[in-house]
Amino acid sequence: MEVSETIAHHILDHDLGIMLGAWHLPITAHTLTMFGISVVLLVVCILMSRTGKSVFMRLLHTLGEEYVAFMRDGIVIPGMGIEGKPFLSYFCTLFLFILFSNLAGLIPQMKTITSNIAVTGALALCSGALIVYCGVKFHGGWGFVKTFVPGGTPWWLVPLIFPLEVISLIIRVCVLAIRLFANMLSGHMVLLSLLLIIFIIGQMSKIAGAGSAVPAMGLEIFMTLLELLVAFLQAYVFTLLTSIYAGLVIHSH
Amino acid sequence: MRLGPFTPRDHVVITTLGLEFAVAVGLCTAGGFLADKKLGSTPWLSIGGVFVGFALGMYMVVKEAKRMERAEAEQKDDKKNGSI
Repeated sequence: MEVSETIAHHILDHDLGIMLGAWHLPITAHTLTMFGISVVLLVVCILMSRTGKSVFMRLLHTLGEEYVAFMRDGIVIPGMGIEGKPFLSYFCTLFLFILFSNLAGLIPQMKTITSNIAVTGALALCSGALIVYCGVKFHGGWGFVKTFVPGGTPWWLVPLIFPLEVISLIIRVCVLAIRLFANMLSGHMVLLSLLLIIFIIGQMSKIAGAGSAVPAMGLEIFMTLLELLVAFLQAYVFTLLTSIYAGLVIHSH
Repeated sequence: MRLGPFTPRDHVVITTLGLEFAVAVGLCTAGGFLADKKLGSTPWLSIGGVFVGFALGMYMVVKEAKRMERAEAEQKDDKKNGSI
């Protein structure tokens, strides 16, 4: 198998070919991973919400409380102000889902679903819907439309500024999707490429291949640790940017 | 002109601005390309898309810079009022 084919096979989504009688179910590797992550998240969150007597349960409950407090004081209120409090549950879900999706890619035999533009696009669309909902909720339908024209704009500039502002909002939603997708995809491609260096050099000379294993594995470990950081960072950035964009719509004058 | 100190929020917004600029140019160029294909006016609408995207990107960057400047001025005012 060619190097590019190997990378594509590991990164791209593929149909699992599951049949239900004569029906072909469109279940792919990414869909299955997403189901798995959802189930794990559901179990973790249910356990977090309960106060048990064991040390583990109490620890998990405290962790859950700290997490929600961090999301409220570190992301939602600085970005959206006190008006963002009703949306706290959305941000908590979003952060955990993205984080678990990013981390899943670091587990062998699991797929990084956030390296699929359809997944990040769907997440960005949810955030876009939240931004529009915030605008309509806090300004009313017509008021939200009026926020697309900054105060003090001369009337003859309105036909130019209005479409620019609408496209800016669309671009922001696209940026949310592209940023997460590009970061996760490129990170995993680098990881795979580093690993494949050993086999490429090994095809030329077995001794050289064995010699390249040590530096390649060193780089691989470094990149894996970096990916671990990126997994947290990108979940944080996606959530923070959603709150900032929603806050800009809420507090636009 | 003094730059910073930047908050973590500013860092996230600033690093996103570059991507917003690129996406603006890419999206408008793609729009122009598709319109060109439909109307048979190759390559004028694609070229127009590049310029519109560039203008849009610049507009977003300048708007964000102004907003950050305003926020910093407000923060300074708050500090002044607090010290009095």
